[in-house]
Amino acid sequence: MSMERTVTQAERVSGGLWEGIKAVLARIGFSPLGVVAFIIIALLPLVPPFNQEHIMRWLVMGAFLGAQAVAFDFTAGYINVVNFGFAAILGVGAYTSAVLSNTLPILIVQPGLPPWLTIWIGALAAGLIGFLLGMLTLRLRGIFAAVMAWFVGIALMGLATNMPKLTRGSLGFAPPPLLNTTNNLPYYYVALGMLLLTYICLRLVTNSHMGLAFRAIGQNIDAARASGINPTRYRVINFTLSCVFAGLLGGFYAHYIGSLTPRTVMHTSKTVEVLALAYIGGRGSMWGGAAVAFPFVFFIEYLRSNLSQLPGLHMVIYGVLLIIVMIFYPGGAAQLYSTIARRIQRRAKGG
Amino acid sequence: MEATRVQPSFLERVMLNMRARPAAWIVIAMTLGFLVIIGIFAGPSQLINTIVTGGMWALMAVGLALVFGVMNIPHFAHGDSFMIGAYVAYFVFTPIQAYLRDNPNPFLSAVGPLIGWIAAALVGFVAGAVMEKLVFYPLRMRTRRGWVMNTFLLTVGISFVLVYGANLILGPNFRGVPNYWNVPPIVIGSVRLTMERIAAFVVAIVAIVAFWIFLSNTRTGRAIRAVAQDEMGAEMVGINLNFIYTLTFALATAMAALAGASLLFMFPAYPTVGLKPLYFAWYVVMLVGLGNVQGAIVGGFIVAVLQTLTQQFFGVSYEDVVPVVVMILVLLLVPNGIFGSEVKGIQEQ
Repeated sequence: MSMERTVTQAERVSGGLWEGIKAVLARIGFSPLGVVAFIIIALLPLVPPFNQEHIMRWLVMGAFLGAQAVAFDFTAGYINVVNFGFAAILGVGAYTSAVLSNTLPILIVQPGLPPWLTIWIGALAAGLIGFLLGMLTLRLRGIFAAVMAWFVGIALMGLATNMPKLTRGSLGFAPPPLLNTTNNLPYYYVALGMLLLTYICLRLVTNSHMGLAFRAIGQNIDAARASGINPTRYRVINFTLSCVFAGLLGGFYAHYIGSLTPRTVMHTSKTVEVLALAYIGGRGSMWGGAAVAFPFVFFIEYLRSNLSQLPGLHMVIYGVLLIIVMIFYPGGAAQLYSTIARRIQRRAKGG
Repeated sequence: MEATRVQPSFLERVMLNMRARPAAWIVIAMTLGFLVIIGIFAGPSQLINTIVTGGMWALMAVGLALVFGVMNIPHFAHGDSFMIGAYVAYFVFTPIQAYLRDNPNPFLSAVGPLIGWIAAALVGFVAGAVMEKLVFYPLRMRTRRGWVMNTFLLTVGISFVLVYGANLILGPNFRGVPNYWNVPPIVIGSVRLTMERIAAFVVAIVAIVAFWIFLSNTRTGRAIRAVAQDEMGAEMVGINLNFIYTLTFALATAMAALAGASLLFMFPAYPTVGLKPLYFAWYVVMLVGLGNVQGAIVGGFIVAVLQTLTQQFFGVSYEDVVPVVVMILVLLLVPNGIFGSEVKGIQEQ
């Protein structure tokens, strides 16, 4: 009898531990399967086909794009505002960090601050721009905000091009590298860390009561206002946070790639790339964009290297996928995953 | 027994309008004033330039305003319709030009560009209809929830497909026609007017006026306006909504394509040529109020004046910065645009 009881107790304890771990993971937005997937992605560059330098570069870009999609989806999927100046705000972070780490503009000290510090300053600068833009536009309805963000984005790009003293304009700016290595592997872990940081931070926010307010505003702004939520305040908070992470990622990009021009970082087409990724991944899921980013980057780079006589084919595929997802399957990859998971669960229970 | 209708005269209507929207009339007066200033300080050729550009932005913006007003679609691929028009005009006109080089024919050389433009408008019309049927029709059938935002993203996708599709098939090279007609420019005093400029302006005005007559005097045109005002009511009186939507989108695309074709001498055809016209068309409709077709016509000229002023007093490099400042002021002072917008879908999130 007593033996049996202890066994059940142990079972309950281990079950409780498992449940506890699951609860903690759920709070930061991971399912057990998600953790496994993340670990697999993290270990990928150590396994033979992926440990070549050019493939590791693709992995870094995958993590970078995925993190952007997470930050983008935080506004688009939750408060239903499409930040059409996303790439430009990312560029603000990139340029701030690049300029400060090259020379301090006031003291003219060379070299400037270490890149590890300046990417955070860049993030704050981007957040400030996001805050101002949010204060300005987010009292307006969705489409006004999107177009206004687009205009501001184009203006920021124009400024970056027209301040050659600071940014060297379209000649290109060469910020110092983040790490003292030419290998891609350390950069990959930095990028992956940023992806994780972005995801967990933003997920903690959306899992709090604030996330509930975001969703309420995104679904029906008038109903949200009627139930005592101040839409402007929450939208500005959301927008600013998203921009902070955009700026951080921009800083990483600047010091990873080592060359910046306004067109390659801040152009509208860059925003559209991230937008397409976030929506194909599944709006409002946050992880969808990040999960889709890796296979996508591989697919795109494969097309680019093997079908170089067809330039831009991957972009056409991007666009077609975005259209198809928007019309027929608005939940994107995240919905596909949850549908399949539910079906498997039901079958397991039934069988 | 004829019913007496009290129709306010034109002057009375203008007065009523003035009282209703003072900001609009102040802006129009200021625009005219600035036109005079441009004429005096920057020279009459700048003035002509401004007016020609204004006509083109108006033609672009009318299509954009129409699509938003009738269908509630914030059309982000409008610039790519411009691109389609530019390409079609190039590919139709270049063979004609080559043919003319071998066997000169005064009639054909005068009419050749017109053939290119008509072809561009027709192709634009068909392309618009296809786009509507392929993309917006299925979405409309599936759901109308979140329509404005969803269609915005759809047009972003369309734009991507068109731009990179053009890049894929035709390559990134510039394909321009420096001059449509081999005639010397008309010189009046210090002003040199090329035939292309005059033609582009005439095309814009003719297209806008024809469109206006179509909207106000034909059955179909009135049906379009009815749908813009009240969709359900329009359906109740027997208007075929699907037909109207397709027609509207096709018309808007045709107008943008026509603009692209007639500006081929200024904007050579290349995949992303539409970005700037798109930007300015959006600038116009945001300024005057989304979906306001009348306002968009005037707005085109307002924006052209602002553009010239920017170039004259700040330099070309601030061309992208000034619109933002103007937009911010507009949104802070008159959030619905200076001519106001009464679009049903705008209240939707």
